[in-house]
Amino acid sequence: MQATNFPMPDLLPALPEIVVLVMACVVLLVEVYSKSRAAGYVLTLLTLLAAAGVTTFTAGPDTAYTFSGMFVDDAMADLLKLMTYLAGIAAVIYSRQYLADRDMFRGEYFALLLFAVLGMMVMISASHFLTLYLGLELLSLALYAMVALQRDSATAVEAAMKYFVLGALASGLLLYGMSMLYGLTGTLELAKMAEALNAGVKSELVLAFGLVFLVAGLGFKLGAAPFHMWVPDVYHGAPTAVTLFIGSAPKLAAFAFAIRLLVDGLQPAHGDWQQMLAVMAVLSLAIGNLAAIMQTNIKRMLAYSTISHMGFLLLGVLTGTFAGYSSALFYVVTYVIMSLGAFGMVLHLSRAGFEAENLDDYRGLNARHPWLAGVMGILMLSMAGLPPFVGFYAKLTILQALVGSGWLWLAVLAVLFSLIGAYYYLRVVKLMYFDTPHAEAMAPAPAGDARLLLSINGLAVLVLGILPQPLMALCAYAMQASLQ
Amino acid sequence: MDMKTLYLVVPLAPLAGAIVAGLFGKAIGRAGAHTVTILGVLVSFLASLVIFQDVLAGNTFNGAVYTWLTSGDLRLEVGFLIDPLSAVMMLVVTFVSLCVHVYTIGYMADDPGYQRFFSYISLFTFSMLMLVMSNNFLQLFFGWEAVGLVSYLLIGFWYTRESAIYANLKAFLVNRVGDFGFLLGIGLVLAYFGSLDYAEVFHKAPHLADQTISLIEGQNWLVITVICILLFIGAMGKSAQFPLHVWLPDSMEGPTPISALIHAATMVTAGIFMVARMSPLFELSDTALSFVMVIGAITALFMGFLGMIQNDIKRVVAYSTLSQLGYMTVALGVSAYSVAIFHLMTHAFFKALLFLAAGSVIIGMHHDQDIRNMGGLRKYMPITWITLLIGSLALIGTPGLSGFFSKDSIILATQASDLWGSGFAAFAVTAGVFVTAFYSFRMYFLVFHGKERFHTAHAGHDQEGGKDDDHHGHHHGGHSTPHESPWVVWLPLVLLAIPSVYAGWAYIEPMLFGDFFGASIFVDSEAHPAMASLREHFHGAGAMALHALMTLPFWLAVAGVAAAWYLYLVRRDLPERIRQRAGILYTILDRKYGFDDFNDWFFAGGARLLGSRLWRWGDVTAIDGVVVNGSARVVGQLAAIVRHLQSGYIYHYAFAMIIGVAALVTWFVD
Amino acid sequence: MEFTTVVFYFFAAILLAAGVRVITARNPVHAALALVLAFFTAAGLWMLLEAEFLAITLVLVYVGAVMVLFLFVVMMLDINIERMRQGFWDYLPIAGLVAGLMVVEMVMVLGGERFGLVAPEPKPADYSNTRELGLLLYTEYVYPFEIAAVILLVAIVAAIALTLRRRPGVKWMDPARQVKVTHEGRIRMVNLKPQKPESKTE
Repeated sequence: MQATNFPMPDLLPALPEIVVLVMACVVLLVEVYSKSRAAGYVLTLLTLLAAAGVTTFTAGPDTAYTFSGMFVDDAMADLLKLMTYLAGIAAVIYSRQYLADRDMFRGEYFALLLFAVLGMMVMISASHFLTLYLGLELLSLALYAMVALQRDSATAVEAAMKYFVLGALASGLLLYGMSMLYGLTGTLELAKMAEALNAGVKSELVLAFGLVFLVAGLGFKLGAAPFHMWVPDVYHGAPTAVTLFIGSAPKLAAFAFAIRLLVDGLQPAHGDWQQMLAVMAVLSLAIGNLAAIMQTNIKRMLAYSTISHMGFLLLGVLTGTFAGYSSALFYVVTYVIMSLGAFGMVLHLSRAGFEAENLDDYRGLNARHPWLAGVMGILMLSMAGLPPFVGFYAKLTILQALVGSGWLWLAVLAVLFSLIGAYYYLRVVKLMYFDTPHAEAMAPAPAGDARLLLSINGLAVLVLGILPQPLMALCAYAMQASLQ
Repeated sequence: MDMKTLYLVVPLAPLAGAIVAGLFGKAIGRAGAHTVTILGVLVSFLASLVIFQDVLAGNTFNGAVYTWLTSGDLRLEVGFLIDPLSAVMMLVVTFVSLCVHVYTIGYMADDPGYQRFFSYISLFTFSMLMLVMSNNFLQLFFGWEAVGLVSYLLIGFWYTRESAIYANLKAFLVNRVGDFGFLLGIGLVLAYFGSLDYAEVFHKAPHLADQTISLIEGQNWLVITVICILLFIGAMGKSAQFPLHVWLPDSMEGPTPISALIHAATMVTAGIFMVARMSPLFELSDTALSFVMVIGAITALFMGFLGMIQNDIKRVVAYSTLSQLGYMTVALGVSAYSVAIFHLMTHAFFKALLFLAAGSVIIGMHHDQDIRNMGGLRKYMPITWITLLIGSLALIGTPGLSGFFSKDSIILATQASDLWGSGFAAFAVTAGVFVTAFYSFRMYFLVFHGKERFHTAHAGHDQEGGKDDDHHGHHHGGHSTPHESPWVVWLPLVLLAIPSVYAGWAYIEPMLFGDFFGASIFVDSEAHPAMASLREHFHGAGAMALHALMTLPFWLAVAGVAAAWYLYLVRRDLPERIRQRAGILYTILDRKYGFDDFNDWFFAGGARLLGSRLWRWGDVTAIDGVVVNGSARVVGQLAAIVRHLQSGYIYHYAFAMIIGVAALVTWFVD
Repeated sequence: MEFTTVVFYFFAAILLAAGVRVITARNPVHAALALVLAFFTAAGLWMLLEAEFLAITLVLVYVGAVMVLFLFVVMMLDINIERMRQGFWDYLPIAGLVAGLMVVEMVMVLGGERFGLVAPEPKPADYSNTRELGLLLYTEYVYPFEIAAVILLVAIVAAIALTLRRRPGVKWMDPARQVKVTHEGRIRMVNLKPQKPESKTE
């Protein structure tokens, strides 16, 4: 046998991933032997907290590579992972009552959720096409299963089917694009690819060709038009608890995916992908905002709103400047916070046998539950981008970066669509405050923990709006430390 | 107390009231809610008074009180600019708001949303104060949007009514157009000046006076002109100038106190205030000033015509507001900013008075708003009668009353201007005097004099419905005699009547011709001599009032009153015959020059068409109730063609993705 | 023309034809069989690249396991072919247009010379493709390898969670319990007191 002198990889940077993986398996096993349904719930929360602890402990400005340069642990990864845990914890707490009411409060759900979190962490820390792709597949597979977990619901199964088939198609496009770039540069490692591209490639044409497929795969993951078709159907069809999860944390991973792929690996081809992103951003803003106006289902409305938000996010990325990236990071972090709150409210107002998913269900909410209506109002106004809520700053910094890099017409277009978009958010506020409630009283689930978290969530949007500086500085710092 | 603390007290006291009344409304009850909000506004008013005295003593302030964030060179902060201009606005806003708060106790007495209403009007007061006290564009925009939001919510306060929903949507959409211009203007300011701070921008403005921008290939525009016109488009939306005026008359669907506070005295004047504040920018562009003036002149005259045929008491006052806003805009256009602010102030007093008096009449008439059903109310509502008469006299410019001084100054300044379009403007504002007098006294005579028609008219009233201010549908069959309103309603009328009478006389000299405004308003008197010429011909308030008796505007006003008297008290049959004779003219006025029809067709229809193209047919019905019916069938056919976009079939979605990829490849590879 | 080039074009032609057949075949069983053929020819192409291990794995795993299972499922399910093919001709023109466009563009863009690749030197006969793969897989690529394992685990969990359901009221046997049965569990001795026949209250 031929001897190898392969050194043991440094496992410390990947400790959070290891913790989550081990605990996901433990949750599965505990489910088999434990009588208590709550065991998985508690273990999941503990796992995410432990992972947060480990990540915080190992966080720092230094960038560490391990596993033969396939895994990177930098400041941006730390920040995004922490946000992912936070989103996971919020998703678990918000959905406890909902799952219990629908016989989904089982170990499989929590194990799948942890696997999905693991997939996102892999994506966030990927520095190699292979790990990027595998992380994406791990995340997607777990999400497909979660969507279908409510087996008696025909819409959920249909949504899962659509998500799966279209996701497979998107994966195919992505792989095809990756293979083009591999052929062109002879490497799959992002840093080396950037070097190879800087040194010059044989054919710019092939580069652009491969890029289109990569960007299409990325667009699907983000839910940006014209690869957005799955978003409304899946958001609508999936059980709300799963929609909450899909609508929040994976956006962080998708953002990391975009930065790793386009910035770490393909920065030299910036001129090409910038225009592709511009096309997708404009389409997303237009389709998202205009179609949202016509919705009567709040989950669908939020789905279209997601599409428009992702358009905004792309605007930040496409500038190709440091200011653009850090504002996009800030945007995605704040968007996840708002999205968690909004879907959390939909969950909280649902109860056994009743989904609070029609806009009509929110009529006169203020008369019955002024506090909840207030929190929802804050979330909607923030999503609309009104000051003094955090959504305003998120949009503002993106616009600033856009104007700063000379994309004035895009900035004007973005403002125009945001103004149109404000209408459907304000309609929710209007329904809650000015319409008379339905005869059938809306009774929120008696979940004190979820209510407390919702209040914190809503207030966070307000407080971050009044004091956005620290988070903004943190995002800029993380980007700075990662991109140097 | 430290002055800086006092500055903070002014906006924060109403905010505190709004929060307490809004969040703990149930706990503190009705009395608690109005006590706490009135207290907040009272504190704010007293503080404004102290600040006003302090400013008169020559102490101004410009600085940040709180920094939101700094990002690169951009600093976003909350800052106050306290100078004579903002001090006047603060005083006007808090005083009118205080009166409206007290009045609301009586007007909204039976409304289930009592606490909420108080919370909103206090919130509005806070937003408006933040707007006028701002020292930078960002905060201005924040206040701008906040007052718009509260106004939008309050127009739809009574949501059971279809018309309120429609008015609400219309106000929102029209203001979007204005805000878009405003935001673009602010964006250009940021792009060219690199700052959002007033002082810095104004300081740099002269250096940019000659810079041009090429919007369309080969067409070079002065940057300042583009910025000013864009900012003014914002003002056109908020201050309801032609052609963005359409939302204001419909906003009368809101409760009357709101009409007085937001849609007459304060919010709609935000645009006027903004342009006056931006005077160092506008002074640099003759084109922008001409634009402002012509728009104002059109609004002043043509909106007045519409007031002549309205039968809803609130709409008469609403069109009068539009017309008066046009006067203010004309004053801005001829560089007589101080005159515009002066008219803004006097107008705030007498127009709030007119609205509140109209509201008092509406209460007295048991929520009937049709002036054809009134008549002879003088006997039953003496205080309302006297105060409304004072308000009307002030409005038409009776020499000696407040409206006279401000309006006559506008007319004189316009005549003295030599900008392009000033001839038309001078004609419009002069002719407008007759129109104003006519519609004001038509309403006055129909309501307070003549035969008592309410006994007979009430029978047919229920069928007319619709215009009824009565939201909780308390039924009032038969006929009951009107009665004077309770003291909380008439006290604000009296309070407002006082400045309506004396404010002009007392303040014209310091405000227009003294150096009251100092550096807060900038006029390039060489290029725009209107103001200087006005100053030259001014020899004291008394002399001005006496001299007016020999001028054309006064006699036009007298003619207007006389015509109204003859037509509506002496020959009651004439108006009907005129209407039949002048069929086309009447129709044009009745259809409000076709603006609403055009908007229904173009904006509402167009927006729906656009939205429906992207969504399938079934959901169109959701907004059918909101937007007027009309092009539904066309939309349906179009939607049926494009519904495939979100059809629910996987293979359609997959196919869309493939097409997307193919299109991108084709674009980027060739 | 070298012999390997001839073989390449031979396999490539069959692969393309089989691929077209997969999507055009009327009968799903035929489509599945065409897919099997495609796998075989693809494996042949890989052979030409000296990727023996991968070629054999492709045949073993995909043809041997996946496709056989797939064929079973297709044969057992009663698929209404006519309904599945509905709309095929409606979409053909536009789909053909898009497909044609893509083909033209790919022909334009993709060519060996554009990638700047040169054929690798043939390896000596004792070179073990399998061992090299294994070495790489368990050293440099251990991280992706582990993630792939987790993906499989998730697939198993998902498959079980989605298909395993305990319907109430279904008759089923548990052999373990059947074996463990003792006589105490089957017969219960009851001490009955003698009673008179006319008392029918029992």
